[in-house]
Amino acid sequence: MRLIGPLIALAGTIVAGLLVLNIASQVGQTQPWGAELSDNFVFVRALPAILGLGVLYGVLGGWLSPRGAAARRADGAVRRFSTTTVLLHALLAAGFLLALPTGIWQYLGGILDVQGPLPVFLYYRIHYIGAGLVLVSVAAFVTYWWMTGDRSLLFAPGDLRRHLRGFALELPPQLGMRLAGLLLLDTKQPAGSPGTFTFYEKVFSFPTWGFAIGLISITGLVKLLRYAMPIPGQVIFVDSTLHVTAMVILVIRTLDHLRYTLARWPLVVAMTTGWLPIGTGSVRGAPARTSPAGSVSGGDE
Amino acid sequence: MKRVAAILALLWCLPHLVVAFWMVQGAFVAKTAMHEGVIAQFSLLAGGLLIAVFSLFLARLCVQIVLASSQPSGA
Repeated sequence: MRLIGPLIALAGTIVAGLLVLNIASQVGQTQPWGAELSDNFVFVRALPAILGLGVLYGVLGGWLSPRGAAARRADGAVRRFSTTTVLLHALLAAGFLLALPTGIWQYLGGILDVQGPLPVFLYYRIHYIGAGLVLVSVAAFVTYWWMTGDRSLLFAPGDLRRHLRGFALELPPQLGMRLAGLLLLDTKQPAGSPGTFTFYEKVFSFPTWGFAIGLISITGLVKLLRYAMPIPGQVIFVDSTLHVTAMVILVIRTLDHLRYTLARWPLVVAMTTGWLPIGTGSVRGAPARTSPAGSVSGGDE
Repeated sequence: MKRVAAILALLWCLPHLVVAFWMVQGAFVAKTAMHEGVIAQFSLLAGGLLIAVFSLFLARLCVQIVLASSQPSGA
């Protein structure tokens, strides 16, 4: 039973890979344009296979790792992420590792008018492979959350002020007090427990990730579709600007995400194994001005 | 393992500092940005500065982790 899921995922990956290879070989035989534009067409035509593979991963993830009661291992470690989440996060990270540097190079190469060491089409090809991985992962995550009903990174709109208060209290005091003053938050009131994730993760990290990934995906798709249908030049200009904006936000988010998680090593362990080590299972709720509120305690810092 | 992760993150930071430098420099000297106008130049400047700041935050943390794990525990 546990083997069927991975086998279906493997079969789906092979089928999607063959479809993309088939599309690539057709373009190579029938299209008169260069490698750079050909890759564009391949990516556009491969989109249904890419998104379909993501949905398949999400369905399998929802089937194999349904949301259940909080599990605790014999050594006391607490289950924080499912195997599906760990794998999809790794896939998303791999996508960013390919798409971000190549995207930055394409952008800066144009701005600075510099030719890189590799042919231009190779940067695009690697960028499209990375973008493909990101799209598979995003489609899979959305499907997975839909199937499991997991909303632990979200909060009810009515609970916004409490979450903002908790977020302000988790920030360094100087920054947090400024934010609280700006948003007229009463930081003397306790913010209570944020739940599985910290206020920082729920109020700032996840929404900004979601916004930037959504923006870069949509604007990237529009950039691609200009080769499949007529799109006005002004729309392409605005779209390209927003694509670059999303890229810069993602670069900053990646740096900030690494800073936040490396400073809380148990979170890195949890995201690679699924398990939060012993003694770090409790997430401190704000306010705790004298301690790093909302952080995961423990770890070998 | 934590030290390895910190070194990898530090390696991730370094090219970002170069990118930040190019963006800030490009805000003032790149012809494309000048042609596109002040907003494009300001975006390059702001983006470059933000990337530099966040890269430095991460680099500082990574250096702290590497130094801390290389020191004897004293136990």
